[in-house]
Amino acid sequence: MSATGNRLHSDPLLEMSGVSVDFPVKRAYPFSKRRWIQAVTDVSLQIAEGETFSIVGESGCGKSTLANAMIGMVRPTAGTVRFQGDDLYALRPRAFKDARRNMQMIFQDPFSSLNPRFTVYDIIREPLYIRGGISEADMQRKVLDLLRLVGLDEEDLRRNPSDFSGGQRQRIGIARAIILNPRFLVCDEPVSGLDVSVHAQILNLLMEIQRDRNLTYVFISHNLAVVKNISQNVLVMYLGKVMEAGASDALFANPLHPYTKALLSAVLDVDVQGSHDRILLKGDTPSPIDPPKGCRFWQRCPFAMKGCRTIPAELTEVESGHRVACHRVSGFSSEQRAAGLHRPVSESVEDEDLSSQAG
Amino acid sequence: MTDTMLEVRNLKVAFPCVGGVIRAVEGIDLTTKRGECVALVGESGCGKSVTALSIMKLLRTPPSVSRIDTLQLDGRDLTHLTERDMERVRGKDMAMIFQDAMTALNPVMTVGKQIDEVYRRHTKLGRKESRRRTVRALELVGVPEARSRADSYPHELSGGMRQRVLIALAFACMPKLIIADEPTTSLDVTIQAQVLDVLKSMQQDHGVSALLITHDLSVVANMADTVYVMYSGKIAERGTVFELFTNPLHPYTRGLLASVPKLSDDKQVFVQIPDTVPHPMHKPEGCYFHPRCSHATNRCEQRMPRLEALEDGREIRCWHPLGQVSEL
Repeated sequence: MSATGNRLHSDPLLEMSGVSVDFPVKRAYPFSKRRWIQAVTDVSLQIAEGETFSIVGESGCGKSTLANAMIGMVRPTAGTVRFQGDDLYALRPRAFKDARRNMQMIFQDPFSSLNPRFTVYDIIREPLYIRGGISEADMQRKVLDLLRLVGLDEEDLRRNPSDFSGGQRQRIGIARAIILNPRFLVCDEPVSGLDVSVHAQILNLLMEIQRDRNLTYVFISHNLAVVKNISQNVLVMYLGKVMEAGASDALFANPLHPYTKALLSAVLDVDVQGSHDRILLKGDTPSPIDPPKGCRFWQRCPFAMKGCRTIPAELTEVESGHRVACHRVSGFSSEQRAAGLHRPVSESVEDEDLSSQAG
Repeated sequence: MTDTMLEVRNLKVAFPCVGGVIRAVEGIDLTTKRGECVALVGESGCGKSVTALSIMKLLRTPPSVSRIDTLQLDGRDLTHLTERDMERVRGKDMAMIFQDAMTALNPVMTVGKQIDEVYRRHTKLGRKESRRRTVRALELVGVPEARSRADSYPHELSGGMRQRVLIALAFACMPKLIIADEPTTSLDVTIQAQVLDVLKSMQQDHGVSALLITHDLSVVANMADTVYVMYSGKIAERGTVFELFTNPLHPYTRGLLASVPKLSDDKQVFVQIPDTVPHPMHKPEGCYFHPRCSHATNRCEQRMPRLEALEDGREIRCWHPLGQVSEL
């Protein structure tokens, strides 16, 4: 099924089908039962060339793991990832490396993602240097061009990352990511470590680069306001599962999942005149070790029904390209209704289950 | 009893270092009324955290050199207090909430013990009573199962929970003033909303004054009563939240406001303030903001404007204040 409502009528640049990523948990005792963190569970999506695809969710929802699986850094436990039509994890090492050169990443923390002992020149040229086959002079010229493109000066070349502010460091990270002319760029929370006033600068720079080079972006964020106007498609994740996915316009115009609504209402505005009715989510994201059986969101959902606790919510298409995984949207069958599964979860039950999960 | 809780007059902090002097704070006046939440807003490197640390008298000399004309908390002069006396004030009369809860908390001590410490230090309570209060403090900030949570170590808690622990720690003795330095910057939007809610209700329910330090105007809009906008060590503008947000006079304030991503926006391009804060060792001539200001004129390049008080209690440091803004 298409997550994106393929608008370019061509093959998607990247396609994931049924991707799950589990990590083993270190055992407390040698013979205790092995447990798994289900970081990503059964995610399918398609990303078209030239678009910006956003993945939104709270910390620990698996968005970074999903992105890592896209670019070959984490092998999925199940499912396939196709990049440019090839199954990424079935490629021979050589071809895999070539594919990887077309995929780069911009990291969240501009402080820990740049080697403090390298100069700016060393950092930006590193990918070129590793690929090889280029003269020192060409390398220098290329680095300099990029440095100017991202808004830094020639004299910055010999300086160390510690001389720069967060925004400038992020620019260095961007230059490093695009030096091999990739087709596909993963931006993992590129602005959340920066001042709000610098957000706009970095986002505008990224958009400019995308226009000039026809790049495809995967944009990871926890703030829906950031991704709203820059992305064509949005995927909302919670505890490793897709809650809602669809074209940006459709999703923002008509958010259907309670989690999406909660995320939207958590965005603070500078509007001091209007009053805000917030849906405040209670508690934190539960642990992805042994996640809830039914809908993964039910414990924090203000509209949880009895059936949500046991029956997983399947992604269903509500309008073209807009998919939601919620029992409130898809509804229960008549037998299930007869069993009272559509009744709201009573408070006492919720508390009890929450505490067993938290412990 | 006066109406003023915190009064700071003419605070200056400098860091002499190789190759010059960094003037972090250049003469700041700050007033916080009883029960009021005052926000100090500005970008990284504008001196807001240094201001906060100076008020707590947590800056060491050297490296810093500071001067202050008045530092009063609830009518009591703190300027000449010795370090020993200051230790009795910190945690009891004023407390601080730090940005990064992971580094602010002691990693090898349970959070309960860390809160117990506040009670043991500032009150004559015994061990049992301290623990009882600790559990209550944790309950107040919405930590579920506070009794067992008190025995966890910081790394066992989530980011939002750790921030709550910090809030509980700061409010333990119900101080007169809370200084919150970027309390939610490292949190997700959903958790940020929760933590701000807790902070606000704690502050309002107990009538505690607060000084909120942040770079995010959307946090200010939801928390503060009065706002000081700081730029490069100086106050650029001051006003009530409502006035400042509906009618920003300083181009910098307006730029900050416009740069907050909004859900109601339809623009493809984000409004940005060009360039960055000047290096504190090489501040420009004239108004510090002029290289980034779209309204800058010759006068701005030559002379720093004074902080002018307007009739309605607002203050502004700009040669060309903006008029009424119709659309924002």
